[in-house]
Amino acid sequence: MASTGHDVAAAAESRWAWIVGAIIAFLVAMMAYMSLHWAAMPPVRMETIDPTTLHIAGEFVETNLGSAAEPDGSVTVRVLANQYSFTPQCLVVPANTWLHFRGTAADVVHGFSVSHSNVNMMLIPGYISNFQTRFERTGEHVMPCHEFCGNGHAAMWAHVQVIPRDEFIRRAQSQPGRRLSCVQ
Amino acid sequence: MFSKDSRQLVLAHFWVAFIAFFAALLLGEWHMVIRSPLLDWIGNPELYYRSVTAHGSAMGYVFPTLVAMGFGYAIVELSLKQALVGRRWAWTGFILVMLGTVIAMVPVALGKASVLYTFYPPLIAHAAYYIGVVLVVVGSWIWVALMSVNLRAWKKAHPGEAVPLPMFANVAGAYLWAWTSVGAAVEILFLILPVALGFKSTIDAGLARVFFSWTLHAIVYFWLMPAYIAFYTLVPRAIGGRLYSDVMGRISFILFLVFSMPIGIHHLFQDPQVGAGVKFLHAVFTAMVSVPTLLTVFTITASVEIAGRLRGGTGALGWVKALPWHNPMMLAVAFSFILLGFGGAGGLINMSYQLDFAVHNTQWITGHFHLIFAGAIVIMYFAVAYDLWPHLTGRALVHGGMMKAQLWLWFVGMIILTFPWHVVGVMGMPRRMAYFDYTNPEIAPQAITVTLSAIGGLLLVISGVLFLLVLLRGHRSGIVDLPEFRFSQPVHAPGRLPAALNSYALWLALMIGLSLVNYGYPIAQLVALKQTSVPAVPIGGTP
Amino acid sequence: MNEPLFSLKNRWFTIAVAAVAAIAAIAAAIGFLWVPRAHARDAMTSLWESICSAAGAPAPYRNPGLPEDKAIYPTSVIVSSEFTGPIDNVSVGRGATLALQCSMCHGARGTASAGTNAPHLAGQPPSSTYKQLRDFKSGHRPSVVMQPLATNLSDQDMRDLAAFYSQQQRETLVGHAGIRIEVPRIVSNGSPMRNVGACATCHSPGVARVATPILDGLPAVYITDQLKAFKAGRRANDINQQMRNAAHALTDEEIDVLARYYASR
Repeated sequence: MASTGHDVAAAAESRWAWIVGAIIAFLVAMMAYMSLHWAAMPPVRMETIDPTTLHIAGEFVETNLGSAAEPDGSVTVRVLANQYSFTPQCLVVPANTWLHFRGTAADVVHGFSVSHSNVNMMLIPGYISNFQTRFERTGEHVMPCHEFCGNGHAAMWAHVQVIPRDEFIRRAQSQPGRRLSCVQ
Repeated sequence: MFSKDSRQLVLAHFWVAFIAFFAALLLGEWHMVIRSPLLDWIGNPELYYRSVTAHGSAMGYVFPTLVAMGFGYAIVELSLKQALVGRRWAWTGFILVMLGTVIAMVPVALGKASVLYTFYPPLIAHAAYYIGVVLVVVGSWIWVALMSVNLRAWKKAHPGEAVPLPMFANVAGAYLWAWTSVGAAVEILFLILPVALGFKSTIDAGLARVFFSWTLHAIVYFWLMPAYIAFYTLVPRAIGGRLYSDVMGRISFILFLVFSMPIGIHHLFQDPQVGAGVKFLHAVFTAMVSVPTLLTVFTITASVEIAGRLRGGTGALGWVKALPWHNPMMLAVAFSFILLGFGGAGGLINMSYQLDFAVHNTQWITGHFHLIFAGAIVIMYFAVAYDLWPHLTGRALVHGGMMKAQLWLWFVGMIILTFPWHVVGVMGMPRRMAYFDYTNPEIAPQAITVTLSAIGGLLLVISGVLFLLVLLRGHRSGIVDLPEFRFSQPVHAPGRLPAALNSYALWLALMIGLSLVNYGYPIAQLVALKQTSVPAVPIGGTP
Repeated sequence: MNEPLFSLKNRWFTIAVAAVAAIAAIAAAIGFLWVPRAHARDAMTSLWESICSAAGAPAPYRNPGLPEDKAIYPTSVIVSSEFTGPIDNVSVGRGATLALQCSMCHGARGTASAGTNAPHLAGQPPSSTYKQLRDFKSGHRPSVVMQPLATNLSDQDMRDLAAFYSQQQRETLVGHAGIRIEVPRIVSNGSPMRNVGACATCHSPGVARVATPILDGLPAVYITDQLKAFKAGRRANDINQQMRNAAHALTDEEIDVLARYYASR
């Protein structure tokens, strides 16, 4: 009697173990699928940068921050975070275009997300973060800092404006070499 | 065989833990209210961050550590039925934890350490905060050593016998903690303290985050151990049932030991200093750590079903009605499982690399870990306290009504607190903000959910008060003659176990090996990089 | 049952190690080979490059910065928490001598007399005073008054002056002591949705942020002028636009309120 009870128990357990295995396998397969078909963080080599000289030379000088149209049709958006603001405070990006966000922090760890989108990046001083995405619709979004960066963290909110693609191209062509933002 | 000195040792641990818990609970409710639309914006945001630092440090470093330590000492005497070896060391460890807590909390209270319990370098606080945390960890390492020493003494006296399940799980938890705490210890000792003490002025923020991630996830499994030990070894006995399978229990704890630690980089999915392949590797192993929980859910549900059927329950679900719902332990395990179900589902979303983008650093994360830790785990801490209390005090623990009310309030309060919290996270509300402009149309929809959470928190405060009341009264009721303390009996006695299920060497080797595979390259790579050390930003100026 | 634990004859050992190794191998194969290979083909980078990026190996940093003539740099000063170093008395002494030339506007001991609308220098962090002197000299902070005066200062002179002034005690002006104005919300909390930071989170004395002046007691006219200059972009020596960002959305009324608040302290 005891052994059949034991066998029933063992059978129930191994049935459950198989179910658990199937759940795990499904989750992992889902992640693999998404990694193959939807790389939100493009495969670049880890990039480092000196946060103390960002304002003096290099990619993140003031005049290079903002949205830049690339020859291949995509747009590179460069954003810088410090205590307690993002530069540019208002990002303007075209809809239906591949956007490459590149960002870093000048002092402490910051991070941001863009409302109603999947944009979510950490900005670590010393490293450059990359993210790629597309906005399907035009509109306004808020872009809060979402990582504790000091006592002024709660006031650190930027904005993102998604405008029609042709309007963006027009603006870019009317100011060649300048980076675009919606800071008035 | 529960000696008076050991009982006092355990009581000391529990009381300090629960007092710290209650103080932090009050702070926590204040946080919910002050950033809700119910009150005007806080005039000095630094006070908010000071309080969050205190709340997080107490709830994360002090409270669960002391509970695990106290419960561990109790398990040594109650399950091994031998006197605790190294009692003076145990008291030393306890004093170190207390000392460390005080030393850390002084700069926090003075506003010199508002860096939050996750430290966030290059922000650097007063050195005393970090030194305090180190002392707390060192005190807990003494406990780890004592668990190992006591088990070895028992094994020498009982060669070849199966280690009782409570002790087996207890020691697994201790070894897990020892290995896991190394990450934060390295971060504090080698990266942060040299800057806080003035020997260095730069720090690699990316490397520090990788070291902290080493500790950050596995620490929750350390917190979870007392609750799971209670599931397997206290609950079935308390509700009049049997443990479905002793062997499955051992396997679950072994799986925790192997898979808890080398998965921390899922906290760094959005970070630039770690490669995507490493992140994927960690995501896969994070999926593996959900296995022991799923196995536990099965085993414990089956054990509870045994209790139900022994009480006459019939039918596929009829045994649920037959369960002893008047018993606080029954309530606790049921509530814990419900909260665990929701919290675990949320966790599966967090771990799925790409899904995490939608929720990273939003209030979803905060809601998630409050649901799973403050909800599912802490409710079992209450249950452990209630179960052990008569044996610790020698007096009856009456007020079953108050105990049940306390548990109900905690359960309902937790749901009202955390469910809206998850919703507001999906709406994009960011973390760690001391105030929000609810008049803005993008944020206005979030207002009502934050208010709901604040109401839930109020229920939790009331529950906390009741909890302390029950325990206090437990010291003043009549002395009783208690039967010997028993842990749950399995349906089939383990008999002779394979060495793999009765010892740790294989699993420790796998744990360390897996850590090397999963963390070796990222850490080595970042240590070798010199140019990523950035200037530290001291709180309140250079010391 | 009785085999040693670490031997191939022990089923627990072999199954456990094989299972963990298999999971690691499959995860690594997907994460380090399959996924990078798929992206390599799209982005036309080599497979090895993609594997390295999956592992997190750094590449030498390629600088696509703008050419010299197009870039406008706010300042040439590199700011970090230690950059002015500890203060020594010799430096303070030299600074005292140099400060004699500054006393006409900035006061004998760094507290400007009422009516000059020059900022107080007494008690300001040395990093703040030093940086502004550097920026005056280089022209990054335009000022018809300060530029000729700063031109003749050497780097050590500026450090000495900064050290000297940091050790002075600011005197609260007669008539100001005892006035208590309620803290304006813009100072304590900023205006988050306009990304106006809370002034107190950087400029309070307790924060001791590097290169950040303490605003307490500064003349209201001075504060108003500087904020309007930041807002219009006329003053642009703030690193990474931090003050221009903060001042950008301030209304004239808010500037007035916070200038009067700080002047009253």
